[in-house]
Amino acid sequence: MRRVVILGGGTAGTLLANSLDHARFDVTVLSRSSEHLFQPALLYVALAHADPRIVRDERRLLSRRVKLVQEQVERVDLLARRVHARGAFHDYDALVVATGARADPSQIPGLSEVAARFGNYHSGVAPAQKLWAALDAFRGGTIAVGQASPICVCPPSPLEGVLLIDRLLRRRGLRDRSRLVFFTPHPRAYPAEAIDEIVAPLLKARGIELRTFFDVDRVDPKSWAIGSIEGERIDCDLPVIVPPFAGAEIAYEPASVLDDDRFVHADRNSLRIPGVLGAFAVGDAADLPTSKAGAGAHLQAMVVAEQLAGREATFDGRTHCAVDLADGTGTFVVSSYASPAVRYPPSRLKHLMKMLMGRVYWLSLSGRFEPLFDRYFHWTAPERLGASALRHAEKAAARSGS
Amino acid sequence: MADDPNRRLIDARGKACPGPITDLSLAYRRSKVGDVFELWATDPGIRPDLQAWAKKTGNEIVSVEERDGAIVAVLRIRAR
Repeated sequence: MRRVVILGGGTAGTLLANSLDHARFDVTVLSRSSEHLFQPALLYVALAHADPRIVRDERRLLSRRVKLVQEQVERVDLLARRVHARGAFHDYDALVVATGARADPSQIPGLSEVAARFGNYHSGVAPAQKLWAALDAFRGGTIAVGQASPICVCPPSPLEGVLLIDRLLRRRGLRDRSRLVFFTPHPRAYPAEAIDEIVAPLLKARGIELRTFFDVDRVDPKSWAIGSIEGERIDCDLPVIVPPFAGAEIAYEPASVLDDDRFVHADRNSLRIPGVLGAFAVGDAADLPTSKAGAGAHLQAMVVAEQLAGREATFDGRTHCAVDLADGTGTFVVSSYASPAVRYPPSRLKHLMKMLMGRVYWLSLSGRFEPLFDRYFHWTAPERLGASALRHAEKAAARSGS
Repeated sequence: MADDPNRRLIDARGKACPGPITDLSLAYRRSKVGDVFELWATDPGIRPDLQAWAKKTGNEIVSVEERDGAIVAVLRIRAR
């Protein structure tokens, strides 16, 4: 039997482990935690006081034929094909790095103090609950929301954050006593233009100040003033800052497979780690030129599963990131390497689909529903949606012209 | 100038918006005054984004040209 070792028991690692033919492959998942967190729900725990039971036992999510070993991997020798963990090692025929991304506030002075005082919604249930407590106690003043670095898992999440906080303040009758500032290192409210066209007017309509090209350089741990590399400053009472992200603290041989932020280089189509045999990197752990988000992790896991099964498969860079517009509607950021994000009009149905994913997610990890996901991603491909949006626009133009 | 030790190549070819400007932001974060970036991109959206970036950050666009089917911008870091 071929030995497949998967590092990480998140979305990609779990789905991949379950999708392999267990009669042909001896599959081991090495995970530092026995818990599996549905990360997108942290947004609602922190900003809408949602049920914090968004963690499940990884063992119960994995097929009984998959071996789960809870241990801290320290070093991976890609040349000798051996994974070194604390006190043990694992030899492999195929390795899949799916170790995710971790929030790393230590990269920016003052950000660890912000995390300790106010929490955040990108590093676990406890920090998310801490942020809810801070918002719950807020009675007026300035709240500044944004991402600290251009690398952000779930790229719509900073924007969703400010929109949900605006909704919370309105519901509590605090909006006229509060100033809301949204800052971003990007040139516009959302980096993809088609989505920016939807969200920039929303920010304006809801009275949210927008500060673009704002790369956080430091936060004053006394006044909570946020300073940017560009030399600007935002004074606030409550900083809601998405921390920078980095790859896992694992050493690799050769070290050249890691980028400056410890993400693992992978071919953008085959997902193979270049220069070595039998190794792949998927999901947030990989240095791919696409969004770090759940749909990508899901699709990449399936591409690797197909290749290991001996079938041809390539990753096309597909994104499918849900955006909650906090007014009962939502949209998705749908793009691929070949197609920039398409304008996908917001609707209630799209918001319901995002909410439904919170339940479907746990089932999706079994791999049993793959034919359904395959159809869904096929029908929502950016080329298809783009062509349909164009037809709608042409019809509208024809109507207004006649 | 090609062997300027402060010159850093940023290859964002094949990356759709906002890939190139994100790569530039990351490099800017690790830069110091006097550094020179050579940014290669294929996404035409980089042109207006670069102008806005230079205006906002106070850095200099030394040149922008088409080479081998790509947009090549040379940028000098003047402020940070």
